[in-house]
Amino acid sequence: MSGRRVVAIFRRVVQEIRRDHRSVALLLVVPVVMTGLIAFIVREGESPAVSAVVVNPAGPPGLVVAGALGVALEADGGSATLIADEATARAAIEDGSASVAVLLPAEIAPGVAMTVTILTNGMDPAGEASQVAAVGRAMLAATATVTGITPPTIERTTLYGVPSDDPMAPFAPAILGFLAYFFVYILTGISFLRERTGGTLERLMATPVARGEVVGGYLLGFGLFATLQVAILLAWGFGSVQVPALGPLPSFSVGLGLPIAGSPFLAFIVVVVAALGAVSLGIFLSTFARTELQVVQFIPIVIVPQFLLCGVLFPISSLPEILQPLVGLMPLTYAVDGMRQVLIAGADLGAAALQADLAVLTLVAVFFATIASLTIRREVA
Amino acid sequence: MTVEAGQSVVPDPVPDAVVPDAAPAVRATDLVKTFGSIRAVDGVSFDLAPGRIYGLLGPNGSGKTTLIRLLTGMARPTSGRAEVLGVPMPSRAVLARIGYMTQSDGIYPGLTVGENARFFAAVYGVRERGPIDDALGMVDLADRVDTVAGTLSGGQRRRLSLACALVHRPPVLFLDEPTVGIDPLLRVEFWTHFRALAAGGATIIVSSHVMDEADRCDELLFVRSGKVIARGTGRELRDRAGTADLEQAFLSLGAHVEATR
Repeated sequence: MSGRRVVAIFRRVVQEIRRDHRSVALLLVVPVVMTGLIAFIVREGESPAVSAVVVNPAGPPGLVVAGALGVALEADGGSATLIADEATARAAIEDGSASVAVLLPAEIAPGVAMTVTILTNGMDPAGEASQVAAVGRAMLAATATVTGITPPTIERTTLYGVPSDDPMAPFAPAILGFLAYFFVYILTGISFLRERTGGTLERLMATPVARGEVVGGYLLGFGLFATLQVAILLAWGFGSVQVPALGPLPSFSVGLGLPIAGSPFLAFIVVVVAALGAVSLGIFLSTFARTELQVVQFIPIVIVPQFLLCGVLFPISSLPEILQPLVGLMPLTYAVDGMRQVLIAGADLGAAALQADLAVLTLVAVFFATIASLTIRREVA
Repeated sequence: MTVEAGQSVVPDPVPDAVVPDAAPAVRATDLVKTFGSIRAVDGVSFDLAPGRIYGLLGPNGSGKTTLIRLLTGMARPTSGRAEVLGVPMPSRAVLARIGYMTQSDGIYPGLTVGENARFFAAVYGVRERGPIDDALGMVDLADRVDTVAGTLSGGQRRRLSLACALVHRPPVLFLDEPTVGIDPLLRVEFWTHFRALAAGGATIIVSSHVMDEADRCDELLFVRSGKVIARGTGRELRDRAGTADLEQAFLSLGAHVEATR
């Protein structure tokens, strides 16, 4: 062991990294920015104002409770309005004009145990949980102001699906969409970089090939593997195959068996379109990288913010106001929402929300494919 | 192939008189390419006749590669004009009739020899197998079609790279330092191929900084500081400079240019 050689290698490492400004930035700046962003999201995250509709079949005592509830919610910037019956309440939740519906019991009287049902949409489990909690607190405050009424038991139910039936269910749409997007980006970015650095792109450009043909071929090629990946991922996620007991092996099931309300084929389409966007993005960003390390360095810049802002970790509704425009710019936001529409709300192709998500994802894929092909020049350096 | 190093099997260069006064295969007119304040190509004009081998000779950094990139339309000239087969470059139609062997191998290491050749053939629009088999046969890789290119030796990769530039039987061939890093034996082999292609009517532009290759060309263009400083057969250039070898001729003709700059 020679100290001198260790020092020589140490110096070599320092010299090389010092000259690689991106690595220095990655080490020193990006973690600070990332933790700052996360702290900002968590601290400044607003618990969104509750807009509740109240169904009151209990007559005058219910009106008193509803009035008190309205006062309590308004103190936090929310609102409560009376609505005719449960059906109209559900309609209000579905079209988004109300975030929560409060269903009061038929009898409200001193000494009678009372159960209040809180209904939410079910699409954004984490975000809605905070709303339900807020309504629960307001409900307790409201009943405390009305003399003689016992604090109610609160039941939670959702418009789509059964809440918290499977703890994995709320995360599944986001995780499946995110993973497919991420791996396709890495794979395409690195292979296209090899094309640029290996001299094959230069050679390809000396042939009659058009740059649109190059990008088109890449989209088809990586699209094929993305399609396979998504098919396997979704089969694994939603499938559940019972394997019978075999000799000493007990019977077990293969697949996560996640619940899905809509068509698995639609979920597949959503993720494949998102993944095609990732292929184009990978080609485009490889322009700005000279080494494979640099493709990887784009992850904290391109992928991590999308992960933080697309609603996987933090409900979009509770993100700070200032970040909301960014949320709309992240392709993953639409992938995650599209998956939720299909998986939880059981949307079909006729659903406007799903149509919008698919349209945005398609536009993103076309946009990046276009600018990616513009970055391939005959005059490659 | 049983060729001893140093022993030439290459036929003598074609004398000038044999070549009829045909339309030029390649024409450069006042080509200039600047990168910032650097004039990589500095006012180059020439006509290159079909069926001949031209050597672009000059030290590293003299502008040979940039000149080839201008001629193939891979780079846009700052001013001036490049024409190949009578068509101004860049032209995708003409690219189908140009073979270009880059300095780096430019082959896909994950594909087999055959897959590489078939890929470039398809991109060039070649549908038949014949030209592909011919190209691989010529570089002696016909029995390695199923070998993954990444596992080939350096010399075999160069040969595959050459084959990929030949799959469409191009009438004009640009070879950027094709013999760099290959052993003398393979170098002799390459020149046999080049001579055979020229005999078939192809115009070949070879860049090199190795002077001993120069005498295998029909005509030489000395490139220095982005300019063509002299042009002629090896013998003519030696005579003009009054020196015994080309290296001396290059230095002496170059010194003349430096002095008159």
